[in-house]
Amino acid sequence: MPVVVLLAVLVAAGLLLVRLGDGKGVGDVPARVVTAATHRLPAHRREWGQAMVAELAQIHGRVRRWRFAAGVLHVALFPPPRHPRRVLAVAGIGLLVSAAATVVAGVTVPGLSVFAAVLGLLLGGYATIVASRSQLPRPSMVRVIVAVVALAGLVAAVAIVLRIGAVHPTATVDHTHYVFSILFALILTGYLALALTPPQLGDPTDTGLWWALCAALAAGAVWISVAVTTPVDAEEILPVLAQPVAAAAVLAASIGAAAATRSLPAGVRAGLLTAILAAPIRFAVDLAGMLQLGTYALTDPYDVSAYPHSGYPDVASYLLSDRIGGDIATLVMLPVTMLVLALLGAAAGSGLRRWTARHSPSSTA
Amino acid sequence: MQALAEDPDRWRYGYDLCTQLGLQPGSAYPILIRLADRGLLETSWETNQVPGRPARHLYRLTGTGRAYATSTAGAVTAGAVAATTSTPATATRRSRPRLGSV
Repeated sequence: MPVVVLLAVLVAAGLLLVRLGDGKGVGDVPARVVTAATHRLPAHRREWGQAMVAELAQIHGRVRRWRFAAGVLHVALFPPPRHPRRVLAVAGIGLLVSAAATVVAGVTVPGLSVFAAVLGLLLGGYATIVASRSQLPRPSMVRVIVAVVALAGLVAAVAIVLRIGAVHPTATVDHTHYVFSILFALILTGYLALALTPPQLGDPTDTGLWWALCAALAAGAVWISVAVTTPVDAEEILPVLAQPVAAAAVLAASIGAAAATRSLPAGVRAGLLTAILAAPIRFAVDLAGMLQLGTYALTDPYDVSAYPHSGYPDVASYLLSDRIGGDIATLVMLPVTMLVLALLGAAAGSGLRRWTARHSPSSTA
Repeated sequence: MQALAEDPDRWRYGYDLCTQLGLQPGSAYPILIRLADRGLLETSWETNQVPGRPARHLYRLTGTGRAYATSTAGAVTAGAVAATTSTPATATRRSRPRLGSV
């Protein structure tokens, strides 16, 4: 049931973003889908995007228009590569690396071999898609920093789980670990793809990216400083601090970006990007704090009664496994909850901008 | 390519080609893009634009494309004759639209 609700919210959010992305508000849903999809085409294929948009104007009938829109979506997602050999090379390297990672994980941390395989395949697939969209624009400095932070978050999240798998092998093996392995790989790849995707929602400048980057780094700094300065209590403090700090960062970024760019979609995207950049950092800091604990004790009454029947050989594995599962679920749900905050923040930022413009000395004079 | 080669001087619309060949746009446009990348297809924008709607993209074969279509048609015909004389099932498989048939 939660998966259905999550999917429904994601579809609704997607439709909302399609609506926001087309600020002119012209055309039916297929027209908006086609317009949004063709904006995703690489620069050297934009003319073909315009061609498909113009073609849709000649197509009548809801079913035909939807079928055409679906075809355009397919082209936008998988545009014909200009250099097919390069794409094949990237795909081949991706397959080799994921196979090697799976073998190494199978030997060193057997419980995480499925995760290594799925993550390798997904990242290889993502790299192949990026390679197929040749002639990418030269990235600006902030985009490079965002990419570095996103990659660092992914590496940190993977490293801490591998570390737990090596120190407490049974913490990463239970009857649900296949599901969580696939889910974790999917969400990490999705986060990376979203962070590296150039903005298309009304912000031609990089202002929103700067807001998101600063807010995410500030949130990460708070979590890391809490973990470093209060290592004994960090295991208890971090979960309490996690959501308020993330919420504050998302709100700050969305308000600031919307006000600075005068664009509601840019504010929403900045808020979401903040959550996407900060979440893997929180994941890694939280689990690192937990792993640092020398002794593990069952304090929750539910855990005290459930542990003897759990099948885990020690309390540490039981608690770490529980924490990993909880943190992965948080990664899944976070963009959904933070989308609401980002919308609110962006609306507030837009309103703030209008209010300031109305009450500024130049406008009242 | 055969569809474009039927009347090589005529500019064609993308959706009309999709309809004629029974192809989805998700299949037809990548083929058109690849043909243009290889210099077999020339593209243009509609000049006699109807007010209230965007100009449409037009396609027709280049000289190289026409030559390629002619050679491909010869090969397909030869193959079809050979297939007809062997097994009917082989000939049926060739009727599905492929890159060379656009």
